Amino acid sequence: MIEQAVFWMLGAVMIVGALGVILLPNTINSVMLLLLSMLALAGIYVLMGAHVVALFQIIIYIGAVLVLFIYVIMLLNLKEQGLKLPMQTFTYIISGFSLGLLVVVVWLFWQSLWGTTFTGGAGNLKASATVHQLAVDLFSQHILIFELTSVLLLVAAIGAIIISKK
Amino acid sequence: MGFYHFLSLGIILFAIGVVGFVIRNNTIVLLLSVELMLNSVNLIFVAFSRYLYGTEGQIYVFIIMTIAAAEVAVGLAIVVSIYRLFGTLDISKIKLLKG
Repeated sequence: MIEQAVFWMLGAVMIVGALGVILLPNTINSVMLLLLSMLALAGIYVLMGAHVVALFQIIIYIGAVLVLFIYVIMLLNLKEQGLKLPMQTFTYIISGFSLGLLVVVVWLFWQSLWGTTFTGGAGNLKASATVHQLAVDLFSQHILIFELTSVLLLVAAIGAIIISKK
Repeated sequence: MGFYHFLSLGIILFAIGVVGFVIRNNTIVLLLSVELMLNSVNLIFVAFSRYLYGTEGQIYVFIIMTIAAAEVAVGLAIVVSIYRLFGTLDISKIKLLKG
């Protein structure tokens, strides 16, 4: 019961935050509302029992990514620009296309998942994967993509330095 | 509160991200919309991992988070150099490639 209430509250905060991200004219307000939305998402991860993912969400997204955004906005000294939406024919075409894509995706989900019973309802929430189990899987089966990701991070860091160099 | 609730929340967030990517013309807001879409995919991965009792979903979420961090580093470097070059971040005013 209390889990349902928490889910609906966090979901409402998330959706309102996401709408604020795309509708507010000032960029720094968008970043702050994305922070709110990500905090709510971390709460939903905790609700699903994925505690490690929730911690990483806070550490990586809020601690690194959003701070980087705020730093760039501060460094560029962006003025308030006002919300002007480029409503051209192209925009309408793309909007209609993405709406159709959304309908197709929802229909596919509905077709493939309807009638499937997922065990483990809200009442018996347990940690969906323990940290031990997660670490063993990450460092045995998925060791290759783990190492490739570290190489990718190195390449991205060097690339960012080279791109932003004068 | 079942699997479908989390799935619906993820799909709604993805739609909001797509709409934001299409209707805004500030480059930083475009990057924020991409972050929203990545977050919704993460949510759906974790929901599948939780209701199918596997670890793969959460491991993929870690990989996606790392790639998002790399993407933001490169993207913000590009934003800084665009601002240096054009003095604006409005993508409707950035048209060197108009042929």
